[in-house]
Amino acid sequence: MLSAIPFMFMVSLTVFILIQLPPGDFVDSYAASLSASGEVIDAATMADMRHRFGLDQNILMQYFQWMSGIILHGDFGYSFEWNSPVSALLWERMGLTLILSICTLMLTWMIALPIGIYSAVRRYSIGDYFFTLVGFVGLAVPQFLLALVMMFAGVKYFGIDVTGLFSQDYANAPWSWDRVVDLLKHLWIPMIILGTASSASLIRIMRANLIDQLYMPYVVTARAKGLSETKLLLKYPVRIALNPFVSSIGWILPNLISGAVITSIVLNLQTVGPQLYQSLLSQDIYLSGAILLLICLLTVVGMLISDILLVLLDPRIRFE
Amino acid sequence: MRLIPSRQLAIVVAAMATLPIAASAYTQAPMLDKLVQDKKLEPVDKRLPATPQVIKPLEKVGVYGGTLRSALRGNGDYNAILRLVSPQNFVRWTMDFNGIEPNLAEKYVVSPDASEYTFSLRKGTRWSDGTPLTADDILFSMNDLVSNKQFYSNNLAPFTVNDKLVQVSKVDDYTVKFKFAGPYISFLEQLATPLAQHPLLWQKKYCSQFHPKYNPHVADLVAKEKAKDWAQLMRNKCGDTEIATRWTNPERPTLDPWIIKEPYGGSATKVVLERNPFFWQVDTKGQQLPYIDRVQLSVISEVETIVLAAINGQLDFQLRHISGIQNRPVLAENQAKGAYKIFGSANVNANAAGLWLNQSTKNEKLKKLMRNKDFRVALSLAMDRKEINDIVFLGQGAPWQLGPYVSTSKWFNQKLGTQYTGFDAKQAGELFDKVGLSKRDADGFRTYPEGGRVSINAIAMISNPVHIDVLELIRKQWAKAGIELVIQSSERTLFYDRAANNQYDISVDVFSGGQDASLNPRAYLSIHPQESRMSLEWTKYYLSNGKNGEKPSPSMQKRLDLYDKWQTAKSQAEADKLFKEIMEEAANEFELIGTIRPALETGVRKANLMNVYQKMPSGWTYPTPGPTLLQQWFFAK
Repeated sequence: MLSAIPFMFMVSLTVFILIQLPPGDFVDSYAASLSASGEVIDAATMADMRHRFGLDQNILMQYFQWMSGIILHGDFGYSFEWNSPVSALLWERMGLTLILSICTLMLTWMIALPIGIYSAVRRYSIGDYFFTLVGFVGLAVPQFLLALVMMFAGVKYFGIDVTGLFSQDYANAPWSWDRVVDLLKHLWIPMIILGTASSASLIRIMRANLIDQLYMPYVVTARAKGLSETKLLLKYPVRIALNPFVSSIGWILPNLISGAVITSIVLNLQTVGPQLYQSLLSQDIYLSGAILLLICLLTVVGMLISDILLVLLDPRIRFE
Repeated sequence: MRLIPSRQLAIVVAAMATLPIAASAYTQAPMLDKLVQDKKLEPVDKRLPATPQVIKPLEKVGVYGGTLRSALRGNGDYNAILRLVSPQNFVRWTMDFNGIEPNLAEKYVVSPDASEYTFSLRKGTRWSDGTPLTADDILFSMNDLVSNKQFYSNNLAPFTVNDKLVQVSKVDDYTVKFKFAGPYISFLEQLATPLAQHPLLWQKKYCSQFHPKYNPHVADLVAKEKAKDWAQLMRNKCGDTEIATRWTNPERPTLDPWIIKEPYGGSATKVVLERNPFFWQVDTKGQQLPYIDRVQLSVISEVETIVLAAINGQLDFQLRHISGIQNRPVLAENQAKGAYKIFGSANVNANAAGLWLNQSTKNEKLKKLMRNKDFRVALSLAMDRKEINDIVFLGQGAPWQLGPYVSTSKWFNQKLGTQYTGFDAKQAGELFDKVGLSKRDADGFRTYPEGGRVSINAIAMISNPVHIDVLELIRKQWAKAGIELVIQSSERTLFYDRAANNQYDISVDVFSGGQDASLNPRAYLSIHPQESRMSLEWTKYYLSNGKNGEKPSPSMQKRLDLYDKWQTAKSQAEADKLFKEIMEEAANEFELIGTIRPALETGVRKANLMNVYQKMPSGWTYPTPGPTLLQQWFFAK
C-alpha cells in the first residue's frame, strides 16, 4: 500500500515531463489555432500571456509549483484555456462520465456473461457460431465508425439527432425527473456503441476460460456424483472462469474516465475523454496533467480492488 | 474603395442621418412587454438613447421573434460567439468592408495630423444592466486596465505609436479624446477590427469591484474565487477581448445586441444569448433592435457533425467550420430538404495555398537560388495551376499569386496577382539552365553546379489536407522539371516549431492580406514573428531593430522603410500611395509563389432568414458575419 506513494510521485514526474515534451507551449498552440481561423495575435500579447501563465519559468519550477499546489492545498492548478480551476472543469464532466461508463459496463457484463457461458456449454452449436460471428464483427468494427453510421442512419431514415446526452431543451436545465428521462432516452445509443466491442471480447474470454474448466476431472467427478447441471456449472467452473474478469477491474477503472475518446468526440458526449484530448492538443498542461494523474491513481486503486476481490473469489489465492 | 474621410482640415464627421422620430414612436419586442407591464423594466423610450442610432434594414423592415441557431466547434470556439454578436466599438465596417461608419460614437473628430481622435457618445446609451454609458467607462478601460502593467505587461499594439501607449482623457461626460505620440492614420480601421475592442469592453460600475484601485478589499474576493491575482479575477468576471470567460459570466454588462443567458463553460453543450433590452439601435420604423429574440449555439466537437446538423436543417446560419470546398456539393444537394439556402462568401485572403519560399533557409546552396528571381520564376512557371484548381479545388478557384483578387478592392494589383501564373515548361527549363542547374543526376533531377541534387523540403500542416494535396501535385509537376520536392507534413505545433527554428525551405499556408492587405500585411512585409515565413529571420531583424536575425534583402528593406513611413503618414492619400508602393515592390521582387485564389466559401442560411448580406467577405479583420448587422436579420413569417 505504502509503495503507492513513491510510485505516484514517479508517475507525476513522468506525466509532467511527457506533457511538456511536445514542441512549443500553450501560447504557441493558442496562436497557431487562432492563426488557423485567420485570427491574429501580436508578439507582445504572447509574451504577456506567457508571463501571466508562468510559462516563462523553467520546467522544474513549474513542476514544483504544480505539485506543491496539489499536496498542500489540493489545488490542481488553473486551466489556461478556460481561465478557471482545473478541479471545477473536471467535476463538471465527471458525473456524466461515470454514469455513462458504469451503465455501459453493466450492459457489457449483462450481455457478455450469459452469452459466454452459453457459447462454452453449447460449443459448436448453431447458437455458438452465431454469437461467435457477431462477436468477431463487433470486435472488428471500429466504434467511431459504428457511431458515424448510426448518426447518418438516424438523420437519413428517422430524422433524429442521435448525438449528445441531452436534447437541446434539457442541455442546461437543472436536474429534474424530466431531465433524467431525457438522459435515459439518449444514453442507450452511446451505451450500445461503446458496449459492442468490449462485449465481444468478453464473450470470447469467458468462452475460452469456461471451456478450459468444463473438461477438468473435478467437473466430471461432480457430474458422476449426480450434482444438477446448473448448480454444477455456476458453482464451480463459472466461478473460476470469472477470475480474469475480476483481475481486469484494475484496467476498467481508468477506462471509465478516459475510454473511447474518438467515439465520444464523434457522438459529441460531454465526458472527460474529449476534454483530455482537447487539453493535450492545446497544451493546456495543468488540465491534461490532472486528468492523466487521475487515470494513474485510478489504475493503482483499481489494482488494489481487483486483488482484494480475487482473494474473496478464489481462496487459493493468498497474499504472500 | 475604403472611404476614409479627408483630413486636410479638422473635419467633423456627422453621424449617420438620423430620421426624426417622435419619442413615443419607438416600439419593442413582444417578449419585453410583460416585463414593462410588471414594472420590472422601464418603457422602451426611457431605455433608448435620446437619439438612438437608426439602422436601415438591408432589404425590408423586419418583424420580432425567433431563435437563431448556429454551431460552435467544441469548447475552444469562443471567437465564433464574438463574430455573431460583433465587437461593439466607436466605429464599425460598412457592410461591404469598404469604409467606416459610426457605431457607438455619435460623431468623431480627427486632428489634421491624425494623432488625436475625439469621440462623442450618444447621450443616454445604456449598458445591458441599465447603467448609462459615459466617458468614465472608457477611461476605466483605457487608463485602469489597458495601461495597467499588472493587467497587460506589454503595450497593446493597436493603441501604441512610437512605442508609447495612447493617452486618453475626458472632455466631458460623453466625450473622450485619444491622443497618440504621432500620426496614426489607420486607427479607425483598427477600431473596426476585433483587435482594438478594449475601449468599450469593460463597464466601470461592475468591473471596478475587481480592481485594487477601486476596491481595497479585492484580495478577499481573489481568495474567495481562488484566483491567482486580481488581474485573473478581472478576466474571469469581466473577460478580455479573445478569451472564453467573456462568455461565461451572465452578470457582465455589455453593449451587445444579445447577452449571455446560458454560458459557454468547459462542458456546455448549448450556449444561449438573449436580446439586450437596452440595445441602442432602432430600425427606420422606430422598432428597437435586434429583431431576433435569442441566439442559440450548439457546441459540437466534430466538424462532420456540424455539416450533418446543417443538412438536417438544424442550423439557421452557419459559415464557420463548414465553409470548405469539400462540403459544397452535399450542402447544395440538401437545400430543399433542410429548408435552407447556400451562399458564397469571398475569403479576404490572397491565396488558398501559397508557397512561402524561405529566403533565409539553412541550406546555403539553396538559399542562393531562393534569392535569385529567375529561379523563383522558373519554379512558378513549372507549376500547372489549372490541374491544381481542377483536382483540389473542384475548378472553383483560379490561378493567382498574391494580393486581393476582388477587382473593386482598393489594393487590387493585376501584376501582383497574375504574373507568371501560366504553365510554361520550356521557359521554366531555360531559366533553370540559366541559373546554373543544367546538369542532372541519374534519377533525372537537376544538380547544383557544386554538385548534389536540388532537393527542396516543404512543411505543411495535416490539419489542412488541401495544402498537402496541392503539394502532392506540385511535387509531380516539379519532378518533370527536374526539381525534387520533399513534403514534411506534421501536426500544427510541430509545424510552427519547425518554422520558428528555420527548419524549412518552403512552408505552405494561405497568403493572408487580400482585401484586408493593409490590415494584415504579413505576406508583403516581414513583420509577423510566426507568419511572415518568407523569412522569420528578417522579421527578427526588423522587430529587434537589427540586433537579432538576418539583414533583409534590399527589396524587403525598401518595403519595410515604406511601411514605417506608412504607419506615421499624416493623410489617407499619402498612406494609400505608400502602401501601393509596398505592393508594387512586392510584385517586382516576386518572393512568394501562389497557386489558386480562394474559392467562394459556402455558408447556409435558413430560407426565411431575411436581411442577410449575401456577399459578406469572410475573414477575421471583418469578423464575419458581425458587420452584416445580425440585429437587423429576421425570420419572415
